[in-house]
Amino acid sequence: MGDVALATAKKKTVKKKVRAAKPATRSVKKKKVKKKVRKKTPSASADAEMQHSPAASNGVAPKRRSTAKAMAATQRDISVSEFFAKNRHLLGFDNPRKALLTTVKEAVDNSLDACEEAGILPEIWVHIQQTANDRYKVGIQDNGPGILKKQIPLIFGKLLYGSKFHRLRQSRGQQGIGISAAGMYGVQTTGKPVKIISKVGARKPAHYYEIQIDTKKNEPRILNGKGEGVDIPPGESGKAYIEKHGIEWVEQPHGTRVTIELEAKFVRGRGSVGEYLEQTAIANPHITLNYEDPDDFVYTYERSTKVLPPEPKEIKPHPYGVELGRLAAMLEETQGSTLSEFLTSRFSRVTSPLARRICQTAGVGTRTNTHKVGRKEAELLFHAIQKTKISPPATDCICPIGEDLILKGMHKVVPGEFYAAATRPPAVYRGNPFQIEVGLTYGGSAPTQNISKDLLLDLLEETDARTVRQFLVHTFNGLGGEGADKIIKTASIGTRQTPSKLKPKEIEALFTAMKNVNIAEGQSMEVLRYANRVPLQFQQSACAITQTILNTNWRSYGLSQSRGGLPKGPVSLMVHIASVWVPFTSESKEAIANYPEIQKEIRLGLQAVGRKLGMFLRRRLRVKQQSDRREIFLRYLKEVSTAVSEINGVKQPELYEQLLSVAKRRTADADMKLDERGKKIQEDPTQLDLGENVLIVDPTQHEAAINRVEIEEEPEEAYEE
Amino acid sequence: MAKKRPIKKTPVTRHAAVKLTPRDKKTLSSITDLADRVVSAAKTRKDPYVDIPSRTLSNVRFSPRKGILEMGNSKNRRQLFDLSQAKAYMRTMLVASGCKRLLDQGKSTSLRGLFYMLKHTIEGAKENTFDDQNECDTIIEDVEVLLNSIREELHLYAENRGAMVGNIVLTDKGDTIDCARMGSGGYAIPSIVEPEVIELDPKKCGAKFILHVEKGTVWQRFNEDKFWEKHNCILTHGSGQPPRGVRRMLHRLHNELKLPIYCVLDNDPWGYYIYSVIKQGSINLAFESQRMAIPDAKYLGLRSIDFDRCQLSDSVKISLNENDRKRAKQIAKYPWFEKKRRWQSEIQRMLKNDFKLEVESLISKDISYVTEVYVPERLAEQDWLD
Repeated sequence: MGDVALATAKKKTVKKKVRAAKPATRSVKKKKVKKKVRKKTPSASADAEMQHSPAASNGVAPKRRSTAKAMAATQRDISVSEFFAKNRHLLGFDNPRKALLTTVKEAVDNSLDACEEAGILPEIWVHIQQTANDRYKVGIQDNGPGILKKQIPLIFGKLLYGSKFHRLRQSRGQQGIGISAAGMYGVQTTGKPVKIISKVGARKPAHYYEIQIDTKKNEPRILNGKGEGVDIPPGESGKAYIEKHGIEWVEQPHGTRVTIELEAKFVRGRGSVGEYLEQTAIANPHITLNYEDPDDFVYTYERSTKVLPPEPKEIKPHPYGVELGRLAAMLEETQGSTLSEFLTSRFSRVTSPLARRICQTAGVGTRTNTHKVGRKEAELLFHAIQKTKISPPATDCICPIGEDLILKGMHKVVPGEFYAAATRPPAVYRGNPFQIEVGLTYGGSAPTQNISKDLLLDLLEETDARTVRQFLVHTFNGLGGEGADKIIKTASIGTRQTPSKLKPKEIEALFTAMKNVNIAEGQSMEVLRYANRVPLQFQQSACAITQTILNTNWRSYGLSQSRGGLPKGPVSLMVHIASVWVPFTSESKEAIANYPEIQKEIRLGLQAVGRKLGMFLRRRLRVKQQSDRREIFLRYLKEVSTAVSEINGVKQPELYEQLLSVAKRRTADADMKLDERGKKIQEDPTQLDLGENVLIVDPTQHEAAINRVEIEEEPEEAYEE
Repeated sequence: MAKKRPIKKTPVTRHAAVKLTPRDKKTLSSITDLADRVVSAAKTRKDPYVDIPSRTLSNVRFSPRKGILEMGNSKNRRQLFDLSQAKAYMRTMLVASGCKRLLDQGKSTSLRGLFYMLKHTIEGAKENTFDDQNECDTIIEDVEVLLNSIREELHLYAENRGAMVGNIVLTDKGDTIDCARMGSGGYAIPSIVEPEVIELDPKKCGAKFILHVEKGTVWQRFNEDKFWEKHNCILTHGSGQPPRGVRRMLHRLHNELKLPIYCVLDNDPWGYYIYSVIKQGSINLAFESQRMAIPDAKYLGLRSIDFDRCQLSDSVKISLNENDRKRAKQIAKYPWFEKKRRWQSEIQRMLKNDFKLEVESLISKDISYVTEVYVPERLAEQDWLD
């Protein structure tokens, strides 16, 4: 009994501590608690043994390895930062490659949340530079509201400090420990401090800090300005200071920049920073992203809308989503009110008649003071809630991206010719409202195939890639190393050739190869998963989204799909789940749990875009057949009319015109034929009416397909004038 | 090539005054009729089409009374505005216009010549009117049945194939040909042997019968041994399946000079079918049977019993393959073989033997066995299949 009490007491203190601090994720907290308990248990049993020891001391007792007293000396508090410093894989710092991504991700997510909360259209700069073989310097800047001077060290130098943890509201940052963990990782691996510069207004000074985190105390240690940080005045003198001290800062009236140097590994392709930023741009069409990678390639994702997503509302928990322990805790927290009041005020969707009904089912009086509700009653209440029919929670607390913006976002980033989007109405799992959105891109030919010779020459000239392969991979989105290798092999030029030194003959071969190599061959569907607008990049196969895609029959929508596999073809699919509480399978927050309600909604969303794709593909095929048909007739008409006029001397042009009009009527007849649903078949695929939420574009006109290196214009000229 | 083009164009006007024979006029009018139908269809905004009698086994009827194959009445419609037929329709019109040009100029050309005349790239497409001569040849046969005019009437001829030699004198385009003085090569039977080209005179023919052999090599053997001299006959061959010229020539010799015909062919399904074509006409050209089939032709050899009868050595056997067996069974089922007991047992015997025999296999006995023993014996015994 004693040790149980001890354990609960300990639990409580831990809880309090966590609450006083900042965003810890639920699971992290649990883990910590477990650890504490485990540590405490041996000592408790030692206590119990001690009471027996006087009796046992007379006999030949086995030699004790240690005493409770001795052991107590080593038992002490564990700092949150110490814990995470040891268990950094829990936060996504398992390996250097992921560390880089997590750092960027935490910073960008924080920036976006801050901008949106302040109502600023976000613009983000991400700079990655290599400083040593396995060291990179990462700088992330936003145009957010800035941070107050005294808050800066706490936000960046103290784990579990922040605003997002306690409210039930849709935001990116359930991600938790976040940026301070990234800073800690950087300090641990390189010893370099985290540098923060933040500005709240154009006429206000910018605050500049260099911080190290004290892992023992979970406290920031400020290194510059004698432990006080530095204030950089606005205007020219400030500019000079920034320049003199080599502080990285893109001039902005307000915003924050954090620079972390860390041990990392830069990669491209799957699970890379580039992929994360690209996917973020798709799901957040209102942001502008500037990204400069270690090879000095600049990627810019311009915003396609100037409308900020509406501010998500905070909601009270729905009774169905509350576990027994939480219910008991809530009862305890509530000071001096009746049970009825408690139920109606602390939960959403509970009215007083409903509260009465719950109490009746539980056999507890509505006027019972919450203080007097014990464990037993709480359990009765819990079961009563599950039995009572309560209307689903309000779903207006969720802010979906919206079909229109999904189309815009995908069109901006993913090259293709057909786009469809579907936003499902909100639904509820376990009392938590959520909403599923699906976007689909069907890409015509690869960007390499749409290029003209002149454009290729231009691109070759302006690129600073060292090899042809590099040139291809960086210039053409979605090509990948494999595609580039295929092209180079077909063109039979050396992989290591310098693009600018290619001979005209080799350029010709490269051009022909680019035109002819079918990149899409054997390509399977690309799946982009999002939770609250944050891309999920790992554990694809464990995710409910992937599993639902696999279980959907894509063959009926005109795609080929082998059993139990992803459909084949130039298709990209994005699935977004927005919720106040996204159910992840594990603490790594990389896969969504398999709730039947969620799977059902995903399936319905997939079917909605799939049907549109099927219509598009079928009609395109039909239109192609029809135009083929007309073309064949037209091709032979001239021959026929010439032959006939040779035989009987009829005027050839006249006969040709007559035959032509017959042909037109004949094929017009074919055009008028009705499709399966009795609608007239239209001819031009871009004129197809597939309902709303579909975008059909000419793939050759797509600007996202090719990355061009920006040629810097010399600003001096402007000054001279 | 560059020189030829202008020359080719001018004759169109110069030869406009070519004198047309009544047959040419008839052919021309049916070609013009074909074109007029296109014009009237176009005027009334209807789909132009042609109905082509079908040239398949299903549309072939065996007339037991006449002993020949006749074409039935079923027709295939070929439309311009039908995806699968548009190209064939266009080609039909092209062939018709090509033939019209030949008639106008009073010239004739080979099948290959017409193919080159009509072959060109279609305007605005990477497609040729014809890619292969076979494509053109089929269309020509279509036009023949469509216009009910034979190839000769369209001023087309095929490559000369087959030869004859024997005690006969004929006139070929005015030249007198003595077939008894043709040396080792013999008189090459032209593709067109119509009376306008070749004149036969019963008075100038001393031969008593015709011996037709399958191919040139066997024919050489007979010619070298002067078989035709000894037996006073006409000796012909058709290089395998005899072309229309050879068949037409045999037909005329048979009917106009009243000469019986005996065939010496290989003992295999193909040999049987060659005999069948000579006797009843072919399925593909059933419309020509009337002019070509010789129901009285006799099959002299080789027979499936010859291996035993002539005591040939095992080495000459050529075993049947799957294709041979299939074809033999098919031939046995043709209506014109079905009712003939002796033919049925002949075919069954070959299938039982499971080998075929070429005429040359008789050489294993003696070089001149076939000319000195085999054929004379069969003729003397009147031992043949009908």
